[in-house]
This record gives sequence, structure tokens and C-alpha cells, in this order.
Amino acid sequence: MDDLPQTLMSNPGAQINFTGHIGIPLFSQIHLSAGTTGVDLYDIFADDGTNINTRIQETMRSMDARDYFAINQQLEIISLGWKLDRKNYLSMGIYQEMDLFAYFPKGPAILVNEGNNDYLNEPFYFDDVSFTGEILTVYHLGINHKFDRRLTVGARAKFYSGVFNAESTGNSGRFTTYTTPNGRNVYKHEVVDLNVLVNTSGFASLREEEEVMTVEQATAELLSRSFFGGNVGFGLDLGLSYILDEQFILSGSVQDLGAVFQRKDVENYRYFGAYETSGLEPLFPDLDENDEAIPYWDIFEDEVDRNLRDQTTYESYTTWRPIKANFAMEYGFGPGFLPCHYLSDKEVRYMNLLGMQLSGVKRPKGFVYALTAYYDRKINENQRFKLTYTLDDYSLTNIGLMYTKTFNKFNVYLAVNNVLAYPDLAKAHSASIQLGMQLVFND
Amino acid sequence: MKFYSSLLTKFVRLATVSFLLMGCVKDVDLDQRNDITLGPDLQIDLLIYDIDQSHFRDTATGNIKNRISDTVRLEFLDDSYIQEDLTSVEFYFRHINTFPREIESKIRFLSEGNREQFAVNYSITPGADGNPVTTEQYELIEEDRINLVRRSIKMVVELEVQPGTAVFEGELDFASKGFFSFEF
Repeated sequence: MDDLPQTLMSNPGAQINFTGHIGIPLFSQIHLSAGTTGVDLYDIFADDGTNINTRIQETMRSMDARDYFAINQQLEIISLGWKLDRKNYLSMGIYQEMDLFAYFPKGPAILVNEGNNDYLNEPFYFDDVSFTGEILTVYHLGINHKFDRRLTVGARAKFYSGVFNAESTGNSGRFTTYTTPNGRNVYKHEVVDLNVLVNTSGFASLREEEEVMTVEQATAELLSRSFFGGNVGFGLDLGLSYILDEQFILSGSVQDLGAVFQRKDVENYRYFGAYETSGLEPLFPDLDENDEAIPYWDIFEDEVDRNLRDQTTYESYTTWRPIKANFAMEYGFGPGFLPCHYLSDKEVRYMNLLGMQLSGVKRPKGFVYALTAYYDRKINENQRFKLTYTLDDYSLTNIGLMYTKTFNKFNVYLAVNNVLAYPDLAKAHSASIQLGMQLVFND
Repeated sequence: MKFYSSLLTKFVRLATVSFLLMGCVKDVDLDQRNDITLGPDLQIDLLIYDIDQSHFRDTATGNIKNRISDTVRLEFLDDSYIQEDLTSVEFYFRHINTFPREIESKIRFLSEGNREQFAVNYSITPGADGNPVTTEQYELIEEDRINLVRRSIKMVVELEVQPGTAVFEGELDFASKGFFSFEF
């Protein structure tokens, strides 16, 4: 991707060979990816004569609490950059991002779908509830610095303007129905160590005001949040690339090393406590006909409320952005079109590039990794395609294609992942598409 | 070389267009979403008591009473998931008795206005000191009678000691649960 400005967004210290770029506003990068592990559309909606509810039950049973659903969408609003001098390239822009990530809440989901009858003496874990979701606008400014002939380093400062956030991570608790052959009743229902916290920002005001807020007002409110009116945060991307020898380049980067400080429009919900019961106990008091019966239910409810509590709080909280780490090595071969030298400024170096890239995104329960091998081929001076093969949590057969073409200075690119799944998306666990257009200058 | 480039270009274009056009879903019927239901089966403890002869004594007179009863409101029966989504309930009642007398158990479910909706009546087998005897009773209420449960809000437990000569001493333990099936 060294001739595409987008490469600077994943590694601000990438080796680049262009001298300026301007993205077509709103069209310079449109990215959408979605994926699920453990389930696909076919698992649920197969038209095979079996009952859909049986299939849902079987699918839920086969999934585990580390299976997840992920959606990421990015829309670049403004993107531009230019070469400051022989060593430095400055780039900046604004993009909007939505990132949703939810682990499958296996315990609560099975309890709701199947009940406790088939799961006596087995705990349902509330730890399984873990999700993050955010919509934000990112303002960024980056510098790419050619440190010497081999090493290029880069950094990008980011300013986040949050529109919405919701997250619930690090929860605990379990609900178990024990059979009690020697107990007072047939079962004992027990909730232990419950501590579930859901943090939100950006939702409460819209909900409270929905009676009076018109669509126009809501749109204005959301736009204002996008332009510094919401919750703010700061982040950093760091990257480097190193020309090991004429044909080998190593590169590494971290993105979104940062946090958003959720201070405005915050509403948090906490559920905590412990309780156990084997049923209500009538005491057979000596009552006259006119006496009121003992309010056993009210007493029970008060006891539950004292022990299993819920709270709504308005405390600020901090969310870490999903940090991404990339490491790549690339091997070039075959003569380039331009007379080239590996240490020259113009780095149209090889016709063919073979590379490996390991990338990871930090999620609540650990890094989610993907290992990609790619073959990048220049068709001619203006066209290039890239074939990728990715091993990730979604599948072992993720083949991707990228194609880019430049008409004079005008560049368009399209990248599609998991192309083998396109003929039947119902059985796909993931799909992603990225496209854009921009002016790229090379002189 | 030029021929090679042009061929590759054509191939890439064709592949891109093909994949975009081919993106489709097969062998699935999304209309099935209308058939999706949640069907939890829940085992829920209801009432318990452990009583002895002292519970049958009139605190004012000290005399033995043959009949005692108590009422417990089960407010959850009024909740929307019972009113709208309950499909069947199987009640289970168990008495473990060491009283050397037969005891009639009446378990009645009443509406807010105290109208009996349904009742489960059975005899608790006599036991003996050191020889507890278990009496179990099931009551299945299916869809055709589920309205009776929906209209109920109170559970009345009533015990009536049957006449006999054996000394009225012992213990009586009661356990009960419901197996509630829902379809949401």
C-alpha cells in the first residue's frame, strides 16, 4: 500500500513514495467490516425443513462466551497531506468511526432461551456479559519522518469527539439452581457475587428529551457532539519501518493508544449483591378472621431488593480505545518500471511484493489476532492488485482482493475480504469492504 | 509485457465485478424470523414449611386445633410474562410426615377476589417418630386450563388433622415447586 495515503493511517511510519494527497471529501475512505465467530446466517435461517428454534438452541449451545460479534465502520470526511521537506510528510484529516464489539453472553442467553430446567446444578455466568460500542469523530495530525536511509518513523496525534458510548466489561456473578435432596425444598436458587455495570454516555439526554426533540434537533445535537461538543479524548498512533536490506522491509505500528473521557450525558447502571432462596415460608400464625395475613411476598421482595441491588449513577468514566498493533515484513522481487535504487527517494521498487502481517486488536477479553499473507503485484505504472490470505477467528479461508488504479493524479481503490464467501454470504462469518478515491501527487 | 498487463487488468476487473454481483445468500429463508420464539422451562421453588404439634395449638386456649391454614400472595403470577407467555405449569407438592395421623392437605389458588380457581387436595399418609413417610402430589395445568393460573394470585395451604387415637406429636415438612414453561 506504499502508494496509497491510507497506509499512513495504519502505520504513520510507513515507507511512502508520494509527495501529496487530497481525499475526495466523504469518499476518500469508506470502510465497513462485520464478523461473527461461532454462528452464521445459515446456522439460524437454513431452509432445510428443521425448526428454527431448535437450530437457535443448538447454535447457542455450540457457541462459547469467547465467541463474538464485531462491526466496524469508518468514513473519512477530510484527508490531506503533503511533503514538508525531503524527510518529513505531514498528513491530517477527520474521520467518523463506529465500533461495536460484543461477546456472546452465553449464560444469560441460554437462561432466557431455555430456562434452568436442563441446567440444574450448573451456573449461569454473568461474567459472559461483555460488550463495547462507540461512535466518535476523530481529528488527526500525523508526521512521517525519514530518519535515515533505512529507518522511517511516524506518529499521529488524535483528538476524539465522542457521540455515543456504551460498555459493560469485567462483570461477575453467577446464578445456579441447585437440587437439594436433603434440603428444605427441591431446589435452592442462588445468586452469588453479582456485579454487573453498564456505562453509557450520549443516550440519556436523547431518551429524556425524545418527547420534545425533533429529528432536526436530534441531528443538530449529534453534529454538535461530532464537532467537539461531546465527550473528548486523546490518542496516539506510532509506527516505524526499516529497510533491512534491498529486498526486505520490516514494519510495526500501534494505533489508537488513547482514551475517551466520558463526562457528559453519562448514565450508568449497576446490579450487585448476592441472595439465595428455597421459597417462601408460611408461619401458620394464630389469626382471627379479621386479622390481616402476613405479607410474605412483600417481605420477600424487600429482602431481595436489599440483597440484589440496582443503582443508576452519573459518574464519569474513561474508555480505552481498542488498541491495534501491527507487525509486518515484506519481500520485494522482480524489476520495477522505474530505474530504482532501494535507497532512492522514489521508492517504486519492485513489481512483486510478498508479505506477512500480524495484527491484533485489544478487546475486553484479550487481543483478537489476524495473520495475513499477501502477494502484491504491480500490473503497470497505474494499476496494482493485491491478493491476501488471512487466518483469523472467523475462518481459515479468508481470501482478499485489493485493486487500485490511478488516472493521472486521481486514484481509486477497492478492497474486499473473504471473497470466497461472496457467492453464499449466508455461510460467511465475516465480510469487509473498503473503497475510496483521492488525488495522489508523486512529484 | 503489455499483453500480460492488459490480461491482468481485465482479470482483476472481471473478478471485482463478479464478486460484487455474486454477493448473495443461498438456502436460507429469512421469513423464518417470524417463527422465532424463546421457550424457557423454569424450575421455581414455591412454598416451604417445617411445622410440629405446637403449630396446631391455639395460643389463647392452649387447645389443639384440627385445622390450620395460611395464605401467601404470589405476586409474580400477575406479571406480564405469566399473563401473556405462560403455556403450562406442573406443580409438585411434597409432605414428609412423622405425625401418626392422616392429615388432609388442601392447596387452593385464589383470585384477588378470593374466588377459588383450582385446588389440589390429597391425604398425607401417617408416619411415626423415626419413620418419616413421604407423600408426593403432582398437578399439571396445560394450555386449556392455564387461565386458572393467570387468574390466581394467592396460594392457600390448609391442613386438617384426621381423628385418631395416637398421640398427636410429630413433624410435618412441606416442599413445593412449579415447572413453568413459557413461549415468548
